[in-house]
Amino acid sequence: MKFSKFFFVALVSVSAFVSCTNNDDDKVDSGDYNEGILVLNEGSAGQGSVSYISNDLATFTQDAYTKVNGDDLLGKYVQSVFFDGDKAYIISGGSNKITVVNRNTFKIIAKIESGLVKPRYGVVKDGKAYVTNANTYADWGAPADAPGYKDDYVAVINLATNLVESKIELNATANRIVLENGKLYISEPYNNDKLLVVNPATKTLETPIAVGSKADTMESKDGILYVLRSSNGVASEIVKVKLSDKSMSKITFPADFKNAKNLDIDQNKIYYTVGTSVYGIAITAAEASNTAIFSYTSASAYGKMYGFAVKNNHIFIADGGDFSANSKAFVYSLTGILEKEFTVGVGPNGFYFND
Amino acid sequence: MTLRKLIFPFFVLMCQLILAQNDSITNLKEVVVSDRTLYSNNKSQSIQVLNDSVISKNQSSLTNLLNYNSVLYFKEYGRGMLSTVSFRGTTASQTAVIWNGINVNSQLNGSADFNTFTSPDFNTISVKAGGGSVSYGSGAIGGTVHLNNNLVFKNKFENDLRLDYGSFNTIGVNYKMILSNKKWSTQVGFSRNSSDNDYDYVGLYTWKGVQRKNENGQYATTNLSANVGYKIKSNAVLTFYSQSSNTDRHLSLVSESDSKTKYINTFSRNLLEYTETKDRFSSNYKVAYLTEQYQYFGDIESNFFSFGKSESLIAKMDFGYQVLESIKLNGILDYNRTKGFGSSFGDNTRQIGAIAFKAVEQYNDKWQNELGFRKEVSSDYDSPFLFSLGSSYIFNSFYNLKVNLSRNFRIPTFNDLYWESGGNPDLKPESSYQAEVGNVFKYKKFTLSETVYFIKIDDLIRWVPGKGDNWSPENTDRVNTYGAETIFGWSNTYDATNFAVNATYAYTVSKNVDTNKQLFFVPYHKVTGSFAYSYSKFSANCQFLYNGFVYTRSDNDPNEIIEGYPVSNVGFDYDFGLLNSSKLGFQVLNVFNQKYQSLEDRPMPGRNFNMYIILKF
Repeated sequence: MKFSKFFFVALVSVSAFVSCTNNDDDKVDSGDYNEGILVLNEGSAGQGSVSYISNDLATFTQDAYTKVNGDDLLGKYVQSVFFDGDKAYIISGGSNKITVVNRNTFKIIAKIESGLVKPRYGVVKDGKAYVTNANTYADWGAPADAPGYKDDYVAVINLATNLVESKIELNATANRIVLENGKLYISEPYNNDKLLVVNPATKTLETPIAVGSKADTMESKDGILYVLRSSNGVASEIVKVKLSDKSMSKITFPADFKNAKNLDIDQNKIYYTVGTSVYGIAITAAEASNTAIFSYTSASAYGKMYGFAVKNNHIFIADGGDFSANSKAFVYSLTGILEKEFTVGVGPNGFYFND
Repeated sequence: MTLRKLIFPFFVLMCQLILAQNDSITNLKEVVVSDRTLYSNNKSQSIQVLNDSVISKNQSSLTNLLNYNSVLYFKEYGRGMLSTVSFRGTTASQTAVIWNGINVNSQLNGSADFNTFTSPDFNTISVKAGGGSVSYGSGAIGGTVHLNNNLVFKNKFENDLRLDYGSFNTIGVNYKMILSNKKWSTQVGFSRNSSDNDYDYVGLYTWKGVQRKNENGQYATTNLSANVGYKIKSNAVLTFYSQSSNTDRHLSLVSESDSKTKYINTFSRNLLEYTETKDRFSSNYKVAYLTEQYQYFGDIESNFFSFGKSESLIAKMDFGYQVLESIKLNGILDYNRTKGFGSSFGDNTRQIGAIAFKAVEQYNDKWQNELGFRKEVSSDYDSPFLFSLGSSYIFNSFYNLKVNLSRNFRIPTFNDLYWESGGNPDLKPESSYQAEVGNVFKYKKFTLSETVYFIKIDDLIRWVPGKGDNWSPENTDRVNTYGAETIFGWSNTYDATNFAVNATYAYTVSKNVDTNKQLFFVPYHKVTGSFAYSYSKFSANCQFLYNGFVYTRSDNDPNEIIEGYPVSNVGFDYDFGLLNSSKLGFQVLNVFNQKYQSLEDRPMPGRNFNMYIILKF
């Protein structure tokens, strides 16, 4: 149906950057898909897929999941991945499921198929996964108390049984999730102007943090949570939340610098994107830079910088393309030299590091 | 611009040989067809007529009838689910469905869902290939599908009841009553077709090895119709056509864990028409009121739904004047007021006025020339000047040549214009030029029509990612489509034995001009075939369909295709001779248990069965 698809489009429209939570402690380093980068392709009319690029950029598999698991359906709108030990958990938001695979071989281990409604992002703590669920969406222009604005929840999944064992109701909208110091921090850019705080031990909501609206990508480092906000019409900003006392400070952007997205911290630098350009500033900076490291060329009306990550001295960019054909992932050096490009799947939205 | 199609007026009568009565329908005085000029004014184009004997040999949905008997290509989201068409390589909103002369494509999304129509509700269903916007308005680019109820003015009381029961608890009840005399004609119909639709997916298993099946696919389609005609005097007739339908469908899941959703469509169509002829003058007045509504439940457990509704008032006046014995002129005024509202596009009203002019010159028995113009004025968009130009020449009993050139369009829909958020009020209509040449050969009992066409479509509306986070429609694509259509028919009778063979083949190339790629979901090849045999009270038939592969991606990725597939059905019935007719029949559908789908991850059923009783009294 066209209309439900539009809801999805609105939902997935924010380029998916990944806040990776790697629990690498028990990871075994063997298998065809070890030591590499996973590119998630959300799919469109068809199923999503996962592409694999080896860390040395020499080996590439366009559709690793199908190659290993044949006709099995990975699901629609593959949104994100989280890891635990040797397992990767692939979240398919359009099909209400999480596919559990061996992260090294990509062989399917299990599917989590109930208790999820439009799952988005997940983190793992103490053998349990915490996955945000968008649940229903409100119609455009619906009143503020419409169910779609209030029914998002965190599904608590017991990773020993791969079953959803409980739900933490959020009474708000939820999207990205970060685990830090035993607490869950949840942002949502469309209908929530606060950062939700959840204590997973008690499964209760704590006082939210008023970071402001349009908060989307975030990452924590050294006790500080960096949250990128991108209001339409006004300059973006990075809110620095000191988690110990929830005090806030800001990295301000030049006034004409709007719609920044894709915050990622690597080696004491904060990276972000505007349009087709990549920027980087020192983590201690008080102001954001408006001098691009480099720009790439995109013909995509809507999928510019649809996926982005910085890691291992590379900058990874995924271009959403036209969302009906296979699109591209690019690998650049930290100074903006194009090192490699790959034809991945439809709607590539994020990079995950399997190392 | 270029050439396009042709064909000939022959009736494809499958299975029981009924004969081609192309002209007879309009000429018989005791039969009144609401769309009077469909056959007489369009001899330069191909019209394939499927009459009730063909309709009764097919499953009840309009999708099935046309899929197995015409060159139209269908995309179905699983059996009984949303079904859209591609005709001559065009998009779903570029084929118009014409109910008793009135365009009933959705005002909201521009297309028609062929699984919301039940074929036995109509007396004849005709497929007119090629442009028809001058006569039928928006969407008549690839072609038009005509659903007609014909009113008979003679003493008659007839009841027609058909009951079906088949696999997946598929139940059909179709009833029609005709009560008429020389002044009055009444036709009342009821149909309900439902199914649990929980078929197994042929050869598909979950990762645990469990047989996969169609979940959440149950549907029910209910139709009520009443058509009444009254002959006020010998040269004046008043007719009223009315139809209400409700299609309540759960939407099949792709993955077992998908959210279960539901979609309800309701339609009501009413048309009042008055026709009078006097000397050289004729006049025809129509008033129609149409409503359509959908409700979409994103979760079947919840009462929450989104909806859209449109209400259209259509008024039409058509004045004809026979200038010479060979030339008839028609002037047409048309007014359409449509109100659309719903949870995703506010409340909007659109008014369209149109003036059209048509001329038909019947130079002699062999040669007919046709000319038409139409210009619309709308509150919402600028409309192109439309025309149609055609000629049909019968060289001899063996060969008929047809040539037609036309300009056609598809207007932006309420979704395109007003969808919140993303609707683009600045859209232009999609427009096309097309040309076709048709060759019709007849030899003894054989008919063969061979049509080649070319269509150039500009300003194709496509939803693309726009500013901010919303998708928005733009007049972005240009498409050239060309191809050939072959329609073959043969029938013969030897004493009590009848044979009929019919076949169609469509070769279609539809390319995006900028990328030179084939449009996705347009097959290069489609073939249908049928064979019918009857001897005395026994009859048997088989049907065959082959859809060639289609690309599913705009870049024509060779790894992302839906493979071609053949599907075959067989059926037979016996008339026990009680009442006027009492047939008991049995059908095996997909007899070779072919694994197939017309859209990715939307498998269709394997071998399944149906039995039926038809009583006429």
